[in-house]
Amino acid sequence: MAPPPTPLSPSELSYLHTSLSLHPPIRPDARSPTSFRPLVAETDLLPAANGSARLCFADGTEAIAGVKAEVEKVQGLGNVRWYDNMDAEMGGIEESERDGEQEGERGKGVGEDKWIEVTVDMPGQRDDDAMVVFLAQMIHEGLVADGGLKNRLVINARWHWRLYIDILLLSPPHTYPLPLLSLTTHLALLSTRLPAPISNHDEDPLFNDDWDASSPLYPSSDTYPDAKTPPQSSPARPPITLLVISVGDNVFFDASREELAVADAVLAVTVGAPSSPSTGLNLLAVRTIDPPSRLSASAAEVGRAGAEIDAEGGKEGVWKASKGGMKRRVLARMVQMCVEGGGVGEEVLGGLGEFS
Amino acid sequence: MPFTITLPAPLSPLHHNEPSDSPSLDSDGDTDMPPPSKRPKLSTRSIVTPGETVTDDPQWMRGHGTYTHPTSPQILSSVAGTLLKTNKLLSIRPLRARYTPEIGDLVVGRVVEVQTKRWKVDLSAPLLAHLPLSAINLPGGILRKRTSTDELAIRTFFGEGDLLVAEVQSVYQDGAASLHTRSLKYGKLRNGVFLSVSGTGGGGGGVVRSRRQVWTVQTANGGGEVDVVLGVNGYIWICKHVGGELVEGKGGRHAGAGMGVNNLEEKVGEGMYENRNESIGEETRWEIARLSGCVRALVEGGCRVDEEMVMRAYEASVEDEGVGGEEGEEGGEYLGGERGRRVVREALRAVHAARE
Amino acid sequence: MTDRRRINGPLGGTAPPVFVSSLTSKTTSPAKRTRAPDELRKIFLKTGLTPSASGSAYFELEPSTPTAASECLASKAPALKLTCTVHGPRPLPRSAPFSPQLLLSTRIKFAPFAARQRRGYIPNVGERDLAAHLETALRGVLIGERWPKSGIDVVITVLEGEEDNSWNKGQSGESGRTGGWGMMSILSGCITVASAAIIDAGIDCIDLVTGGVAAVVRQPTAPPQVFLDPCPSDHEEIFAACVIGYLQTRDEITELWTKRSIMASTDDNRANTMEFEPLVDQAVEAAVAARLVLIEAIKESTEVKVQTSQFGHPKNAAS
Repeated sequence: MAPPPTPLSPSELSYLHTSLSLHPPIRPDARSPTSFRPLVAETDLLPAANGSARLCFADGTEAIAGVKAEVEKVQGLGNVRWYDNMDAEMGGIEESERDGEQEGERGKGVGEDKWIEVTVDMPGQRDDDAMVVFLAQMIHEGLVADGGLKNRLVINARWHWRLYIDILLLSPPHTYPLPLLSLTTHLALLSTRLPAPISNHDEDPLFNDDWDASSPLYPSSDTYPDAKTPPQSSPARPPITLLVISVGDNVFFDASREELAVADAVLAVTVGAPSSPSTGLNLLAVRTIDPPSRLSASAAEVGRAGAEIDAEGGKEGVWKASKGGMKRRVLARMVQMCVEGGGVGEEVLGGLGEFS
Repeated sequence: MPFTITLPAPLSPLHHNEPSDSPSLDSDGDTDMPPPSKRPKLSTRSIVTPGETVTDDPQWMRGHGTYTHPTSPQILSSVAGTLLKTNKLLSIRPLRARYTPEIGDLVVGRVVEVQTKRWKVDLSAPLLAHLPLSAINLPGGILRKRTSTDELAIRTFFGEGDLLVAEVQSVYQDGAASLHTRSLKYGKLRNGVFLSVSGTGGGGGGVVRSRRQVWTVQTANGGGEVDVVLGVNGYIWICKHVGGELVEGKGGRHAGAGMGVNNLEEKVGEGMYENRNESIGEETRWEIARLSGCVRALVEGGCRVDEEMVMRAYEASVEDEGVGGEEGEEGGEYLGGERGRRVVREALRAVHAARE
Repeated sequence: MTDRRRINGPLGGTAPPVFVSSLTSKTTSPAKRTRAPDELRKIFLKTGLTPSASGSAYFELEPSTPTAASECLASKAPALKLTCTVHGPRPLPRSAPFSPQLLLSTRIKFAPFAARQRRGYIPNVGERDLAAHLETALRGVLIGERWPKSGIDVVITVLEGEEDNSWNKGQSGESGRTGGWGMMSILSGCITVASAAIIDAGIDCIDLVTGGVAAVVRQPTAPPQVFLDPCPSDHEEIFAACVIGYLQTRDEITELWTKRSIMASTDDNRANTMEFEPLVDQAVEAAVAARLVLIEAIKESTEVKVQTSQFGHPKNAAS
């Protein structure tokens, strides 16, 4: 689902595309390819939510995310029971062994995808609009791919937290708002606090009503009081999704609306903090996004059958959206730049971590 | 500083010492307005809110932004803004408003719809403007009547998304503008980038009506000549200067041969509605990017955008480049954040120095 | 409000009957992959099955495990069956704005009986998401400017979809529902079948796009390995999977969807070291293999068309 095609004139598109494919590329606002426009953010602004954040991009797009947590009984326990018995009867030795391992991991169980619910609200869009659905799905996909968040929601064998992440886009969606929503979610999750339990292991959960005693969902230093796991050197972080575009051989981050309009390929890359240091980031999900350039009028300059369809860039001074897909080489580079140690992903995570 | 997040800035202080560049509010200083009974005495820069009684003295005439009650001579405000007195006419300039077209305005617009005999052009005004087919220079000479062939080929002149510079020829009863491009100054825009800032009518930063809306900049760093077109409606076009005139195609080579009617025809015929860009050097592209960065910084800093300010900011940014290099700032030429503010401060200082 | 006119079943739902197998536990243990890591399931692809549509195709993947185990109800291996119809190019509605090129719209619908758990006709998030993926995969292939002011609809119905877990595994409440990894092979199938149907409709394409899936899979004894065309129920746990839409002659990727789960990575750090690029390359292999089937299917149906047209229109026979 692509954002609505940006109406740009053919000569603008041509100018942008040529500027961006130069070596070094010239972005319309003279940024370097990997630099981000300054962001404005604040966290913990909604008193009624467990965690919240507001983030403004330089182009005026702005979003608020609120995280609310509810206690819920683990679903399907009764229904699943008979599988468990069957497994046991069938001598699923491996299974039980593995369960044991996972139990030992945090003294807790494994979370489920559906414990996290993401909704996105965009002004002027129906909530079953393809774009809204797609965005919510992508953010959800990123969050659940990192098992860390799901597993944090386990209270005990019978109870778990259910997280509702509601993201409100305040401005009309000029650019593809995915990175904005993802970064806002990240900050909101970092500021999320859950009440401290005062009940024992498998009892029905009771919580301390003192908000000061609540514990952050993502502790700044990831040491669990009862954990047998070795303390991780880098604290865990929610994953983030970056939008990467390529024009020619060049790769750009934080693309503006105009840059997106001439992108040859658009990629949403979800990265998570590494579980061990110095390995670069964890690549959690990658997906291609339909570049809006294909929808623009300039993609249809040549209408005659048999005309050359794929002259790269067309005549000089005229740009035509390319057909086909992206080269594997470019794809690998785009992903690499997000993931590698000291790369853009690390920088963004670092910046977000420092802020919160 | 490729990735920075800042806290939201506190509200700017209410009475910041804005430079005295705003048009004089009381062009008729000797007439003292009787202070309305319900309000304390107002300063010359009084701010009124809708429904507020501006005056009940019947000697005043009501202008824009006011209304009267049929039974009383009171003049009430209908918008929030500053009071403007012109002789006996009271009008109120809203603090922020969309552009309202006026006859003779030089505007930059974008075609959003093509109809059989006219184009609908977006001017960021409340209504779309019309550009009739009869109001453009048709190929083959300006003195030709439009024919049905032209109607069929309407999309070859302007298509959806195309940018044009035009003049407001008349304003309809409902406030919609009718444009014309029947001059070589006007027509299709090529070879550059587009910017959108708030236009005249708004307070704060934006384009203001001024003596020169179009001028050529001799840029630094070997960028050559660059044209700047400030549309009164807040749309700005910055492009490479081609030949002797803004709108010129292949006819540019003959520009020295004088501007006869025959010559004119040739130009109009060949290059007027071309979508192809000239070849633009890298240096020029950098300087265009810098100029657009300056305009953006000016708008962010809440300054007016006119020839003087843009030129001062441009000079400041050229000088600032050296400074930035010494400090080892990253991010290329990007004029955002702190660097943009610095440039705007410098520009304002230079403007003041020039005035004194 | 209960319906008093009919006898209702008990509230709260019932568990379906489960027949405890009298077979030995070995036969009902979770299905194991019998194919080689780089061996794909057999694909059946045929175009032109829906005469009323301008183009159509049917796609089927054989069940991954032979039917020997089907004596037990719970362990019937799922297959993948898709039908695709293409309507158009047809004129856009009058209200639609001018479009200089072909407008593509995609819809993917799961039949209510596609999975073990019935699903209603209400479109859900997963279907829309898949449709968006499919649109991305196809848009780069169509030469849209040859069809200005018109649109095509690509509609895919999933008749039978794969499930994440085989029925008797049931680790979580998610079983019996397609989603997660199963979606990825469905998408791959959708890309291939849509490509076939579009070509059947005679719409200009720059190349054939085919889908391919590869996954990194946990193995009981060996280190994780990349498998082509994984069937989620065959494998104990999938670490990462990648779907691509691939254009072989241009060596380009129109669609890429990679997901990875690092849930189990703490006990097996090797999964993290699995590189992204090899996974993509393996998925490309799978797509290349699917392309052979696609070409074969297209040739077959084109030959049939040519023959019938020869008999019908003697003029065409000469050319």
